[in-house]
Amino acid sequence: MTRYKGYAGKYLRVDLTSGKIKVEDLEDSLCENYVGGLGFATRILWDEVNERTDPLGPENRIVFSTGPVTGTLFPAAGRYQVNSKSPLTGIWGHANSGGSFGPELKYAGYDMIIISGRSDKPVYLWIDDDYVELKDASHLWGKTTHETTDAIREELEDETYKVACIGPAGENLVRFACIINDYGDAAGRTGMGAVMGSKRLKAIAVRGSKEIQVHDPDAFLEVVDEAYRKLLVEWGYHLSVTLTRYGTPNLVEAINSIGRMPVKNHWTGYWEKADKIGGVRIRREYRSKQGSCFGCLVQCKYMVRVPSGKYAGAYKGPEYEAIVSLGSCCLVDDLEAIFEANHLCDLYGMDSISMGMTIAWAMECYEKGLITEEDTGGIPIKWGDGELVVDLVKKTAFRDGFGNILAEGTRRASEIIGRGTEKYAMQVKGLEISAQDGRAHQSSGLTHATAARGADHLTSLSCLEERGYEKVAASRYGEDKVQHLIDPLSTKYKGILVKDLEDLYAIGNSLIICWYEVGWPPVFYFDDMARLIHTLTGMEQYKEVRTLRLAAERICTLRRMFNVREGIRRKDDTLPERFTKEPMPSGPAKGNVCRLDEMLDEYYEARGCDKRTGIPTDETLRRLGLGDLAGKYR
Amino acid sequence: MTAQKFLVINPENCTGCRICEIACSFEHYKSFNPRKSRVRVLKVEKMGVYIPNICRHCGDAPCMASCPTGAIYRDKGTNGVVINHELCIRCHQCVIACPFGAITIDPDTLDPIKCDLCGGDPQCAARCPREAILYIRGDRVGFDKRRRRSEAFLEVLSSIAGGGV
Repeated sequence: MTRYKGYAGKYLRVDLTSGKIKVEDLEDSLCENYVGGLGFATRILWDEVNERTDPLGPENRIVFSTGPVTGTLFPAAGRYQVNSKSPLTGIWGHANSGGSFGPELKYAGYDMIIISGRSDKPVYLWIDDDYVELKDASHLWGKTTHETTDAIREELEDETYKVACIGPAGENLVRFACIINDYGDAAGRTGMGAVMGSKRLKAIAVRGSKEIQVHDPDAFLEVVDEAYRKLLVEWGYHLSVTLTRYGTPNLVEAINSIGRMPVKNHWTGYWEKADKIGGVRIRREYRSKQGSCFGCLVQCKYMVRVPSGKYAGAYKGPEYEAIVSLGSCCLVDDLEAIFEANHLCDLYGMDSISMGMTIAWAMECYEKGLITEEDTGGIPIKWGDGELVVDLVKKTAFRDGFGNILAEGTRRASEIIGRGTEKYAMQVKGLEISAQDGRAHQSSGLTHATAARGADHLTSLSCLEERGYEKVAASRYGEDKVQHLIDPLSTKYKGILVKDLEDLYAIGNSLIICWYEVGWPPVFYFDDMARLIHTLTGMEQYKEVRTLRLAAERICTLRRMFNVREGIRRKDDTLPERFTKEPMPSGPAKGNVCRLDEMLDEYYEARGCDKRTGIPTDETLRRLGLGDLAGKYR
Repeated sequence: MTAQKFLVINPENCTGCRICEIACSFEHYKSFNPRKSRVRVLKVEKMGVYIPNICRHCGDAPCMASCPTGAIYRDKGTNGVVINHELCIRCHQCVIACPFGAITIDPDTLDPIKCDLCGGDPQCAARCPREAILYIRGDRVGFDKRRRRSEAFLEVLSSIAGGGV
């Protein structure tokens, strides 16, 4: 067992085929080289999965991982990672979720759970400290995520059990099915719920009563207090009038105003109706209660209540990404329908981003006559129909009729339909593009093109230029680069920027702390994290920020190698033509395209990759202690 | 007026983040374990309802009255009800007697554990980001709530009063 503090020190290996459960010791070297969370999983998936692995086959692994910070007093340490080879994209997949499942897993004494195999019948994994058992879940199969959580808590006779589970979508192998914990917190992207479904693992229920130790409690408390000061004083006002007050829906108005909010299947970046689905309206008319993930000071979660009508009810409110995907991307301005569609995605266990973007693709193809009522079973798939979006969410979860095609995600669905519908599939590497637009914000285009799990915003999205954080940009990258860095339409230095943030967020996802104190607002940087790691864990080498930067590069490079092994090359680091060839038709960014090629070379150079192939060079691999991978892929 | 301080709970402010629980466990053990926390947040996630539960430091404390060894006493500095673990025989009579379930059992030592006001600076209140747990003077207890509840009347009454002018 590792001598380093902060970690639980052990992890679980569960093979569902044989039903065998093993407890293993966490090794020092894994902590030293890969920190935790995402880093751990990157190493494990590199070692235990390969290019022949079928994402939905028993040989695939699904890794639930936490980091050294998870469950401690450092702000926003309530998250966990789920990592696997993705059934949606066929390459590297991971998702990250808040709530309080992650901390509970550590309190039970485990940093990770590595799951392999496939069970004959539905099961759920029951963890009560040292007692671990696979229990029959036949009676839970078919139940929604809420019903499953309720039923397990009742069965185990303790409502403090934390449950991460799949809904019908995961069981039905919807390619973008997700995992839901704490009634609506989602490990959303890349189909992690389908991997669980393929293994017939309905849920993991955990409770723990063990402690997480700290290497130097006094020094650690100083680090925590400094973090509190930064979040509550330095950035306190900023947060209190934005995320804390409105949650992420506050981005609807903010991002629309800079012309970067996807509308009509990413056709444009500005919508005159944005206020109808924005954070201000939600707060004024629907917000019923403030919420929070475990240990967080930002507290961006919230509940909504729809008092009457066909969507009446009370549940967790949608995030910015869900509002855009299910709303503006489908031209739906019926906020209550968006609430309902998002809530159903939670109940059935589906990624609301991929769901919304897949419906938006179908709407555009229907408008252009590429999809007809023959394909849809007689349903007209018209823009702006909120009721239809709600209906298609249901159909997708159960693979009913046209839902069976939508359940494949945009890339596969467009390949099934053909007829040129591929052109309107807004995806990169098979993952539906999240709610940014590279035409209005050049570096976000580079992020979408290069992110390991496909077009995603959390891997390396920069907010420095989006809000003009001049001082932060200057302190990190030097005064000379500031003017270009904070100009969203400049492509200069954006390769360096995206590479740096990719490293930073990789550490954020390894510790694990929330994006909403690392990404936006840009509160914590490498020096803060290095101090945090060595006071918490006692890894002396992390007193040097250099050690942390190397670990970050190691994680990102190995993750990139995972995709290289799957055949991903520079040609795949691309965007749909809509972003690179069709000028933005309206809004503040009108007339612009994403000049991706101008940024890519700089990115590969910063990343230490061959510019022609996009593969990490042998020199890079050796520098990061990954020399055994050198020369293997061309 | 009394200058004594009280722990006051405002469940309507609580978001269920449980910072209070880990702050408590760190203060007492220098490690993190909510099951050793003296404050516990009852969570009804589906409804978005969260209720922090902690010792009320009762005036006539049933735990103190029921303790067979006199291990529970009132601290002179904080006026809080505190356990002397040297005298405690772990009979858990106090756990049974407490009407609020605010005394729990340490999962490792099986000691009864309860709030000791951190000796006068309760960390749950100090770290709560939403003023769901406050440690305030007796004369301030309920003041903010009264003020808030009165605001609607203030508006109406001032418009009536101003209407004649």
